[in-house]
Order: sequence, then structure tokens, then C-alpha cells
Amino acid sequence: VSVEQAFLIAGILLGLACVSAVAVIVFARLTRTQVGARSALTLAPYRPALVAVASGEDEDGLAKASLSAVPAHIWVRLRPSVVAFLPKVRGVPAADLGAVMRAHGDVEEALRMLVSSSAVARARAAYLLGLVRDPDSVEQMLPLMGDPSADVRMVTARALGTIGNPTAAAGVLGGLRTQHGRIGLPAWVAAEALLAMGAEIGPALLAGLDSADPAVRNVCAVVAGHGTFYLAAPRLRVLLAADADSDVRASAAVALGQVGGADDAATLARHTDACEGAGLRRTCATALGEMGRTESLDTLSGLLVDEDRRLAELAADSLVRIGPEGIARLQEAVAPRNQGPAALAAGGALELAALRGQLAISGTGP
Amino acid sequence: VTEQTKTRILVADDDRDILDLVVFKLTQAGFDTVAVTDGVAALAAVEADPPRLAILDIMMPGLSGIDVLRKIRENPAISDLDVILLTARARDSDVDTGFATGASDYVIKPFSPRELMHRVNTVLARGDR
Repeated sequence: VSVEQAFLIAGILLGLACVSAVAVIVFARLTRTQVGARSALTLAPYRPALVAVASGEDEDGLAKASLSAVPAHIWVRLRPSVVAFLPKVRGVPAADLGAVMRAHGDVEEALRMLVSSSAVARARAAYLLGLVRDPDSVEQMLPLMGDPSADVRMVTARALGTIGNPTAAAGVLGGLRTQHGRIGLPAWVAAEALLAMGAEIGPALLAGLDSADPAVRNVCAVVAGHGTFYLAAPRLRVLLAADADSDVRASAAVALGQVGGADDAATLARHTDACEGAGLRRTCATALGEMGRTESLDTLSGLLVDEDRRLAELAADSLVRIGPEGIARLQEAVAPRNQGPAALAAGGALELAALRGQLAISGTGP
Repeated sequence: VTEQTKTRILVADDDRDILDLVVFKLTQAGFDTVAVTDGVAALAAVEADPPRLAILDIMMPGLSGIDVLRKIRENPAISDLDVILLTARARDSDVDTGFATGASDYVIKPFSPRELMHRVNTVLARGDR
């Protein structure tokens, strides 16, 4: 066989392979389209009832009853459509869709699968129970906060947040702990879940602020601020003053900026002193801006000349956030007679404020 | 025939489930509806025959709900159209952007259909555009 013939044969084989691949792709797409069309045709009679339940327009309960009564072989195809609707609605429609899932035994099945040997099955079960917002499932879901799989713990925490039962708060906080070498739940997942549970997590939150675990104290401080738990302020002051963990101190400072009172402006101001670490000083300067009290004007104005230029910039931004009085301090700092390090930070903050439209809002434009 | 049956509302969302349920809810309440699945079609529908109110999803292919809203406000012929933005993104910046662009109201997914209807009726009753 000559070289030319070998190339020819190889080319023909390559061409055949390409044609075969294209044929397989086309066949697969056609098959999928046909299956999809058949499935849509099968489900079409049930779509109006599903939409009626999901839109809350099923006051006589007939649509819910009809969906609850579909035969098992239809339900297998209909279930994904119901599950797809669940995260998109709240209130009565969500409860009714959950009732349809329960009528077909999906909730009971999910409860059984919470102890499956498969991590994927456990995670899917927790996700489903979260979707149907079943408060009775909480107790059986809580053990999963100590699951060997990080994914299962994360899905469970989110599901518990979706259910919103405050009795799960302590369990979610427990999931933050590093146990048996397993890294705990990511802080933001725990914080979002706790915030979703509402004001009734107050007692668990206060207990968490006293936890021996810095990860728990940190998340509780963050949640106390974002959830505006004013009762946490005394404990936050203690954490800011003396916690052994710098992240906890910073989170307590941020939270105090959100929930603190007049006295806390002085507390935060003290922690902008040069004897503190740069991170905490900057956090406290920002928190003073969040608090927005005029008692902080002198402290923040003083920070405009600090050697830490980032701190000076943050102090300038906080002065903008305080409003007209703070902006007046910045305008004083940029006056021609005051050219110096303070003018740089103040000028930058005023320019940014102008771009954001904050000067126009406050009525103190340059 | 009530006054409500004469009121036409455009609904734009690329999520078929949301589109179906909002249209169904509005239809049950007696409104006429126009349903589209992308921003370009939404703008074309509004320009061709302005409805009384448009419910726009923010995240849509082609033009986003914010883009459509901006173009509506820039067009003197339709700039007074009431617009409710519908989105899964609950960030404050989205709310700010929506209102700064001229949205009449804002509903965050997941939403209660009853709450959406309340917002629709409030915006229509306000009639401040």
C-alpha cells in the first residue's frame, strides 16, 4: 500500500467517523425532542391545574385535588414541574404545592432519604423538604448539620432557613463548629439561614454570642447587626472590647454600627485609636458612618490626617454618610487654606459623593 | 363588564412558569394580558400598543427589564407607562437602580401571587403617571 493510498484510506475513515458522530448527535437530539414533546403532551392536561394552584387561584381546592389524584405514572413526569414551581412562589400557593407533593408520598420519601447512605440522596431530600417548607421535618433534618458531607450540611442549612422555623437556629449554629477534622458550615450560609428565620431566633443568637467557638460568635455578631437585634448591643460591646478573636471584634464593631445607640458612637470611636490594629480601626471608622451620628464628627475629622491613608479615606466616606454636617467638615478640609493630607482624603470622598448624587440629596453640593 | 376588564397589562419574563402564573392570575382578576418572553419583544409590544401597566422581569435575554424601562422612560410617547419590576435578585442596588430608572414598584421572587396583585392594584389606583 502506497503512502497516497494510506492517506486516502485514513481520510475516508475519518470522514465516516465524522458523519457517524453527526448522525448520532442528530438522532439524540431528535429523540430528546420527541420525548420532550410526548412528555409535554402528556402533561398538558395538568398544566392549567398546576398554574391555578401556583397562582393561588384555587380557592375551591379542585385543582389541588386533581393534581393530588394523578396516577403514579403521570406523577413521575409531573413532579419536576411541581418542584420547579416551588422556589418561585410563597404563601398559600407554596403550601398547596407542598400538599400535592405530600399527597404523592414525596415528603415521606424525603424524610426516609434523610438517613440514606448516599450523600446525594440526603442532600436532595433536605432540599425538597426545604422547598415544601415543612416545619414538622425540622427535627429530623437537624442531625444533618453534623453530616460528614459538607454539601449535605450546606443544603440542609439553606433548607432550614427556607422553612424558617426558629427552633432550628441553635442547630444551624452548631453546624459552624469544626468537628472531627471536618470544616464547619460556611459562615455566610449559616448567617443567611439564621436571618431567614426572623426575630424569634433572638435567644439562640444571644446564646451564640457567648459561645466558646469564635466561628459561632462571629456569625451571631453578623446576624445581630444585619437582623437589627438591638438586644444584642450590650454583648456586642463586650465582644468588641475584649474578644480574643480579631474577626469577632470586627464583626461586633460592624454590628454595633447597625444596632448601637448614642453611647456606642463613643465606643467605636475609642477603637479607632492608634493603639488598635489597622483592620479594627478601619472597621470602626466605617461603622461610625453606618451609625450616622453627629457625635462622631470630631473623631472622623481627626482621622482624615491619619498616617493610614486607607483609614483616612474610610473616615471621609463616613463623614459623607453622616450627612450635611459631615460634608461640611469635608468641605472645610479641602478649603484652600487647609491643603494637606486631610484635603486629599476629603476631596476624594466629595468627588465620589458627587458622582453618587449624595451631595445633591443632602443639599450641600460644592 | 367592569372597568378592570378594559385594563391591559404586559407581562415579560423568560421563565415560562412565572409568565404562566402571572398571566393566569391577572386574567382571573379580569385584566387583559400580553405575554412575552424577552426584553426586545416587550419593548416592541409596548411601543406598538402601549398597555396600562408593564410587569418586567429584570433578568431577560436581549434587553434586561431595566433596559426596557429606561427606553420606555426615554420615549415621550410611552414615558408615562407604569412599570413593576419582577426579579429574583434581592440586592439593594437592584432596588435602587429600578427606582432610579423610574419603576413604579418592585416585587422580589419568590413572591406571593396575592402580593403581586396587591401591588398591581395599588399602582393602577395610584395612577400617578
